[in-house]
Amino acid sequence: MDFVLTHYQEGKFDTQKALQRFNEAHGIVRKPRRRVLPWVSGVAAAAAAVILCVFLFRDNEQQILLMADAQAKEFVLPDGTEVTLAPGSKLTYSEKSPRNTALEGKAYFEVARDEAVPFEITSDGAFVRVLGTKFMVDAGSSVKEVYVTEGKVLFAKSSDSEGVILTKDMQATLSESDAVPVVAMEPDVNSIAWQRGSFIFDKTPLKDVLETLSEHYRVSFAATDLDKQLSGEFYAEDLDLIISLIESALDVHIIKR
Amino acid sequence: MPQPDNNINFDDLFRYNYRPLCLYALHYLQDADLSEDIVQESYAALWEKLQEGAHVLNRKSYLYMMVRNRCLDHLRKKGIPTESLKPYDTYGIIDDDDAQERSQTEARLWTAIDSLPEKCREVFILSKRDGLKYEEIAEELGLSVNTVRNQISKALKVLKEGVQKLYTFFFA
Repeated sequence: MDFVLTHYQEGKFDTQKALQRFNEAHGIVRKPRRRVLPWVSGVAAAAAAVILCVFLFRDNEQQILLMADAQAKEFVLPDGTEVTLAPGSKLTYSEKSPRNTALEGKAYFEVARDEAVPFEITSDGAFVRVLGTKFMVDAGSSVKEVYVTEGKVLFAKSSDSEGVILTKDMQATLSESDAVPVVAMEPDVNSIAWQRGSFIFDKTPLKDVLETLSEHYRVSFAATDLDKQLSGEFYAEDLDLIISLIESALDVHIIKR
Repeated sequence: MPQPDNNINFDDLFRYNYRPLCLYALHYLQDADLSEDIVQESYAALWEKLQEGAHVLNRKSYLYMMVRNRCLDHLRKKGIPTESLKPYDTYGIIDDDDAQERSQTEARLWTAIDSLPEKCREVFILSKRDGLKYEEIAEELGLSVNTVRNQISKALKVLKEGVQKLYTFFFA
């Protein structure tokens, strides 16, 4: 205890970063590379994206489409905003106004700050406006969700309807029957696990832990001692490893089904 | 605790043991950056060995051995006598298995501190690492003394639950 505390430094001994450093040093490529689209990135741009860009050019609007297929992908928009698209999601914007985007599916944004030009995201039945901040939008299902990790975000049904202002670690959902988004009393930090690459549990009952994992990995579980509580951070890349860590930490037995 | 070793892939070997190895090195070197470098080098050496087709019976123990040797080399180069540098705890010299076990426990504690809410961690570290009094922390962060006290007891509670029963005697 004393030893760890004496030497503790935030951000040190970061396994994820270290592994990345190791893989880079040894030419092992696993993570999707960050791509800078549109066409300026030339050869590196995915063939599919290029075809779509060309196709969309024709109506003179110069719409740019970004998409992620099987894996989450990171993009940098022309204004410096970073977007991580969840698998199967799409983001479009026009070249003339790159801070005016349309989203299908789920994405995490780190918006470059520009007081003069708000960043806007429109999707079917949800509207989000920000200046510069970090947050997630899930417009993929009938219930739209926004989770804010930094800054201030306006979340509404459309650009002219009444909305709610969300700040750090606030989460709100909007179902089709709601006129105004509902702010969650206890935001679920693991709703951005796919972007952060890890799950965080804080005295979470095993039953809820397994539910979160089950949603993320689409597997079901059976376990003993569902009331035991788990705390800590678990990297999302390897389910079996997470399971074995939980089993040894809580002294329980978990079966995947 | 069950420790899959040779049937896990290299990535997992890295993820599973990186932080414990860093803490193991830290006991010798007292320098976090240097410890990280030495652990990286050790993984690289193991990786190259495996690429060459070498058979390593117990990769985890091999890593601990390499990290220890590299730490001792480093200290020798700096002219620090290393004969007396055996892993020890408050009860005296401990053997290799115990040193590994200790590093794993310490790594879990480190992870648990990482996973504390930001404000809570800040208060906790100022108190326990930097030895500030509650009043001093309250003044520095613009909080009430009561809030500081609450954050610290919250931190202790979370850590206690997060770091396994085995470790609870440290908090008793």
